[in-house]
Amino acid sequence: MNSLIYILPMISVLAGAFVLMLLGAKSITKTKTFNLITVGFLIVAFTLEYSTLFLEREGYLYENIFAHVFIIDKFATIFNLMFTSGAILTLLINNDYFKSRHYFTGEYFALILFSIFGMMMLAHAHELLTAFIALETASLSVYALVGYHQNKKVSSEAMLKYMILGSLTGAFFILGTALIYGATGSTSFDIIALYVENHQLKDMTLLVVGATLLMVTILFKIGAVPFHAWVVDVYHGAPYPITMFMASTFKIAIFAIALRLYIIDFSSINYFWTEMLQVITILTLIGGSLIAINQKVVKRMLAGSSIVHSGYLLIGISSIGIGSDLAAPAIMFYLIAYFLSSAGSFGILSFIASQNKQEMTYEDFKGFAHRRPYLALIMSVFMLSLAGFPSTIGFLGKFYIFTSAIDSGQILLAGLGILTAFISVYYYFKLIAMMYFYPSDKVVQKFSIDISTIMIAFIALLIIWGGIGTSLLSFLPGANGFIEIAKEAIVSLK
Amino acid sequence: MSNILTNIIFLPLFIAVILGVLRAPLKLLKVGAFFSSILVLLLVVFVIIDFDPKGNMQLITYLPWIQSAGIFYYIGVDALSLVVLTLIVLLMPPLYLYMYHEKRKGYWYNMMILQTGVTGAVLSLDLMLFYLFWETMLLPIFIMIGMYGSGMHQYNSMKITLMTILGSMSMLFSILYIGYIYFETYGIWSFSLDKLSLLSFNPQTSLWLTAGFLLAFVIKIPLVGFHTWMAPAYGSAPTPAVVIMSSIMAKLGIYGIWRFGFTLFEETLLFYTPFIITIALIGLLYYAIRAVSENNLRRMFAYSSGSHLSLIALGLFVNNIYAWGGSLYFIATHALASAGMFIMIGLTYQRFRTLDINSLGGIAQKAPLFTFFFAFFALSIAGIPGTGGFVAELLIIIGAFKENFILGFLTSFTMLSAMIYIFWMLQRVLFGQPNNSTPFADLNIKETLMLLPLVILLILTGVVPSLFTPYFEPYLTQLLGVAS
Repeated sequence: MNSLIYILPMISVLAGAFVLMLLGAKSITKTKTFNLITVGFLIVAFTLEYSTLFLEREGYLYENIFAHVFIIDKFATIFNLMFTSGAILTLLINNDYFKSRHYFTGEYFALILFSIFGMMMLAHAHELLTAFIALETASLSVYALVGYHQNKKVSSEAMLKYMILGSLTGAFFILGTALIYGATGSTSFDIIALYVENHQLKDMTLLVVGATLLMVTILFKIGAVPFHAWVVDVYHGAPYPITMFMASTFKIAIFAIALRLYIIDFSSINYFWTEMLQVITILTLIGGSLIAINQKVVKRMLAGSSIVHSGYLLIGISSIGIGSDLAAPAIMFYLIAYFLSSAGSFGILSFIASQNKQEMTYEDFKGFAHRRPYLALIMSVFMLSLAGFPSTIGFLGKFYIFTSAIDSGQILLAGLGILTAFISVYYYFKLIAMMYFYPSDKVVQKFSIDISTIMIAFIALLIIWGGIGTSLLSFLPGANGFIEIAKEAIVSLK
Repeated sequence: MSNILTNIIFLPLFIAVILGVLRAPLKLLKVGAFFSSILVLLLVVFVIIDFDPKGNMQLITYLPWIQSAGIFYYIGVDALSLVVLTLIVLLMPPLYLYMYHEKRKGYWYNMMILQTGVTGAVLSLDLMLFYLFWETMLLPIFIMIGMYGSGMHQYNSMKITLMTILGSMSMLFSILYIGYIYFETYGIWSFSLDKLSLLSFNPQTSLWLTAGFLLAFVIKIPLVGFHTWMAPAYGSAPTPAVVIMSSIMAKLGIYGIWRFGFTLFEETLLFYTPFIITIALIGLLYYAIRAVSENNLRRMFAYSSGSHLSLIALGLFVNNIYAWGGSLYFIATHALASAGMFIMIGLTYQRFRTLDINSLGGIAQKAPLFTFFFAFFALSIAGIPGTGGFVAELLIIIGAFKENFILGFLTSFTMLSAMIYIFWMLQRVLFGQPNNSTPFADLNIKETLMLLPLVILLILTGVVPSLFTPYFEPYLTQLLGVAS
């Protein structure tokens, strides 16, 4: 009975998916209604999940049925909150976009819910095969979503690219699982952790190879260089709502499993991967910056910059390996920060795209601030947060990541991080410059107050509050509160 | 009373936000902005009255901000920050008067945000808080140059932003590393200046950390070699932005070295002293030469400002009370003079639509009042006796002579070089035959009123320095007493 409250959010999401599938079979329901229903189910899931946040918990989900397959901890709860709120934001902000395009049907929304269900499972997963199934549930839904606009070549190309490469790396995950199973005789995280603790590194070749293969999948999914080839094209080819969903929500889900694996299971042999990770981090930071700096289309620039952000997160991961206690909360905080900023920036792009159908290059943003002053202001906030400008939550994210890197002695890596942050100022500020510094010959458009703009403005306020909010107002999680949440999540892991 | 500094920092921002949310009409916006600057001025007057020159840091507010990372909202005022603070609040009302005809609303908002940024940077005593304000004050400048500037303003705006952010990123690295060293030593995080000053670094690390801070500050000043953003940015920025950049932000570079550099890395800075003094001396000469050969009034005074800021930096690194007193005094007087000068240049541009020295001329015949103010500010930048600039330059030069003869000799060269380009410029701009058929109005009453306070202050600082010295002399003796 105790487990019920923890499984209800997942059930709610799944039920929503089925309801939408059934509704989608008939073509009488409007897109708007689909959207409302989806959001309704997600809000139920979110509320239920939130109500468990303050409960004391330990143990596993229905231990008598599933054994130790699903764990219940605050870590999973906080991730689930991010997934559901990410999906809610995606759907609400894109309300106008859904209306402006004809190809969104019931299945589309069902797929979003399926992928959220997969992610929630992933956050709870405490066993490798379950993790794989959860990961693939989420991924398959996202593959389909990326290519959802069948008549668009770029979209289909993106889907194929993503699916073929993604499935290939999925095979690595399976191989890694098999090898780990061969070594330990189990796929459960408990037993793997026990095995790792009781053996010397040199006796665990099989397990180490397996774990490295798992890491390949994870690095692919977050788009780390040299596994990044798909990122820009897929982000570009996907419809705006899906780009937003992938960048803000799906990427975080990968970190849920990565953190669990590397903090719990392989904690005592983390140092083995440190040098490898450091090299990949350096490549990711520099490669991502090079990609982002050369783009003309804003969406592609954001895609490129999302690689750089993966690089910052990798700095945190390699700091965990060296044994910095600050690193894990830093990653959590950075995830929250990046989640907000990328959801906002992609959201605003799709909001603009819902009103004119052209591709948005830097040039198209010339004079934008004169046409849409409020949207431009909000967009600037997102850009500043992504660039890590102080007084936004993005700055504090970088602050924690860099201090954790210094704490673990990776001073050069921290220096490189700061250098790439400087480079990122160029391509983010370029957009602000385009918006503000050129006159516009078109008329001023009014700031329409509807659900999309309200949500976008809400994220912008949250970003600023997360950057400067004081600890004096204890009931609102400001700059101080978010890091406390992140710490609690990490503590609950151990 | 302890909240007064908080009010001083955030009042303009608060009023800007209120006006923005209410979508205030232009007229209300103007009144609001001006009102905020006057209110802050009054608050600062209260602070000055209450200020105890013999005390250390005063009116301290110390509130938790991000506790787990040891970041506090920690502000306070001492003689050094009081000087810069007074300057800021003195310059804002005249600038708003200057902007009186400005119709673009963003302009006004940016000025208010800018004021919060610079005051915050001056008063904060927590390194992260300082960094926050230091970066924040860049944004309005970025927007103002880019949106309201002239010439290649988009490019120049991006250039100044990127260069200064490069500096502040290197400073951020140093700040983080210092915070970490504190954490390693004491087991908790802290970025408060007074706590961090207890640390001692190993020499190797210290060199790097100091370099991180210095890079940020010398780019902001800018010393020669880090100056490539200066002339283009000054050239394309609108007048209020130029005034803030040259009178306040450049001084914040000096202030930063003084406050953070000398508190944290007293000894390491000695290592950098020859280097800084050398580039400051080169700067004195280089900027003077550039100023002589420049035909655009605003760019010319950009170089002149660079030259005098090099002098201030030099005075700061010559470690004796004359030079330090001179530097502090020069921070104030140069800010007043260059603010007046750049406002005059702005007025010239409003009248002639050009700043090319060759197409100006013969102003003296038509507009005596204008000529008086123009010449007065130009000469007080050059440092003629009777203005504050003279006292300050004299003190720095005496300090330099006390250090060694050659340094003193080279330093006094600036005064000479400034005289050359200022007088030559005055002769070409104000006198001779009019080259320009534009009808030319003399200063009207409003413009006179806005410039008069600056003139009075400059004369007062020049004739009776004893009025002001009691405020910072105890501070300096104490500082140098500790140092030696």
